[in-house]
Amino acid sequence: MTAQDTIRARARELLENGEVTTFIGWESGRFENQTTPLVITDASDADKLVCNEYCVNTLAKYARDVVTRGKVGMVVRGCDSRGIVRLINDQVINREDVYLIGVGCAGVRDRKTGELLKKCAECRHGDPVICDEMAGDAAGRPQPSERFKEVHEVELMTQPERSRYFEGVYAKCIRCYACRDVCPCCTCRECFVDQRRENWVGKQNNVAENRFYSLTRVMHIADRCIECGECERACPMGLPLMKLNRKVIKDLNDLFGEFESSMTLDEEPGKLITYDLVDCEEFM
Amino acid sequence: MILTKQNLMPLLRNLTGAERDVFVPTQVDGVSKFALMDKGTVPDFEQVNTTMPPKDLLFPQTQKMYHFDVDANGSYRIHEYDESREQLVFGIRPCDMRSIVCLDEVFLTKGFVDEFYANAREKLTCVCIGCASAAETCFCASMDVDPQLAPNADVMLQDCGDVYNVIAQTPKGEVEVAAWAPFVEEGVVEPVTCEQSLAVSMEGVVDKLEGMYDHPIWDNLSIKCLNCGTCTYLCPTCHCFDISQDMRRKDGVRFRCWDSCMFSEYTMMAGGHNPRPEKLERVRNRFMHKLNFFERRYGMSLCVGCGRCVEKCPVALDITRLIDDVAAIG
Ligand code: SF4
Ligand code: SF4
Ligand code: SF4
Ligand code: SF4
Repeated sequence: MTAQDTIRARARELLENGEVTTFIGWESGRFENQTTPLVITDASDADKLVCNEYCVNTLAKYARDVVTRGKVGMVVRGCDSRGIVRLINDQVINREDVYLIGVGCAGVRDRKTGELLKKCAECRHGDPVICDEMAGDAAGRPQPSERFKEVHEVELMTQPERSRYFEGVYAKCIRCYACRDVCPCCTCRECFVDQRRENWVGKQNNVAENRFYSLTRVMHIADRCIECGECERACPMGLPLMKLNRKVIKDLNDLFGEFESSMTLDEEPGKLITYDLVDCEEFM
Repeated sequence: MILTKQNLMPLLRNLTGAERDVFVPTQVDGVSKFALMDKGTVPDFEQVNTTMPPKDLLFPQTQKMYHFDVDANGSYRIHEYDESREQLVFGIRPCDMRSIVCLDEVFLTKGFVDEFYANAREKLTCVCIGCASAAETCFCASMDVDPQLAPNADVMLQDCGDVYNVIAQTPKGEVEVAAWAPFVEEGVVEPVTCEQSLAVSMEGVVDKLEGMYDHPIWDNLSIKCLNCGTCTYLCPTCHCFDISQDMRRKDGVRFRCWDSCMFSEYTMMAGGHNPRPEKLERVRNRFMHKLNFFERRYGMSLCVGCGRCVEKCPVALDITRLIDDVAAIG
């Protein structure tokens, strides 16, 4: 039985037995090798579910929207499961709100080129970090050797080069907020960009406002980012957003010791929201 | 009249001058869009349509409207902006030309004339290049667009393989083509037929949608939507904007900028009421506007079948599947 068969069978059972109200997975899209997220409530739709090497979307964030309808069943790979841990640890959902069917992941491919997606080439945890049962075996993929390769490349630039580089990057942003909307850490009830009265960030599209938006978001998710790479994948303008996320993660590693967010339900509170007398204060 | 493809670049180089800006499809930092043609620009006429639509030539993402301040006597002064310039866009595609028909309806008809748009439109000359082949996501032929025709273009270049048929379609276009004399020659060639693999049937869809305001289809569709701005910002016909200001003590600039019906803040009222509070209402609004409301008001679809939203939606929420699903409802 393939993982996909198991997922279909279990989704059907869970929905039929009333153990879950909705089930989240993927279905095929219109084009060859295209998939799209699928949320079903009817057991007879379980056969629409697919699980293959083209399931590009990380599903975790949907749990936030769907838990209001009752208990949610969903398929989780490494990235999806860490997104779920994030939502639970941020108290957006409860552990008992979700029933997780784990599946090992060897990486997802671009439907047109067949190449491993960048986010998957950089992924450090293909197998779920939490789940209630597994469909098939863990993939046990070796970790990529260098986590901060792209950060080093930027650090090697001179300051003027770097500034030119990021001006170019932010000139491209159209402020569609797909990067925010896809992110499992971006769960504020009201995002600062939508607080019009306070006007933290102006609505005009220019390098200054675009950069302010992006950097504020980066700092706001800094110690929670699960490195799923969905923001960078979703960006229609191809901004290299993981360079920024990983720069902050690298700095946090250097300052507070190595860590990876959202690996366990009992992780330490975020580095940036806790205070410790031994915290370094290199600027004082 | 025909223009050989060898003569295309020499012609283009000849068109750029100080008195007007020439825009061509090209790659800028990895993003395909219409950009100002200068010496270093390499136009890309192979790509079917650009990722960024050409609408910002008429309706910039951010547009200054007026500047205001207070003079020494304490009275307000207002300085209006008109930053419109003579522009030529070369290589716009038939779907995008149709999108300009939609924008013209919105900004110039029914007794409402948007001066900023009107000024820019007046000064825009459009040279449309027909499509000999389509992208995987193109379905303009299903939306009443002919990939080799654009009646509202000033000049139409039909792709005939090695040459283009050159057709001046407006007085502006005739003046334009008259200046191309050294580059064009007499003749007419049969245009290549553009095959589109993606097709939908709009048969009955507009009328069916009329009764579908409360149909479960909207929940099924919206549940996976992120409510980001990708589809609306990349859509050549989406035209919603917000007006805001940049204030510093006693002076400031009022500007307008693109807004998106997908954003929760878009319909937020003073006092906190939001008539479209959830994804369902927003997604329904977007598709109803595209496929029904606009049709009712202006007699045409607000979707021109360019396929940009189909290509770029981060969750592959596909308008062509919605059209098929609506068509299939008994
Ligand atoms: S997804 Fe990309 S274009 Fe959209 S707001 Fe984020 S960085 Fe900007
Ligand atoms: S910031 Fe990007 S990589 Fe980090 S959790 Fe959010 S979507 Fe994933
Ligand atoms: S349909 Fe797609 S592109 Fe449009 S708002 Fe929803 S997720 Fe974003
Ligand atoms: S709705 Fe999509 S396919 Fe239709 S015109 Fe807009 S971007 Fe193009």
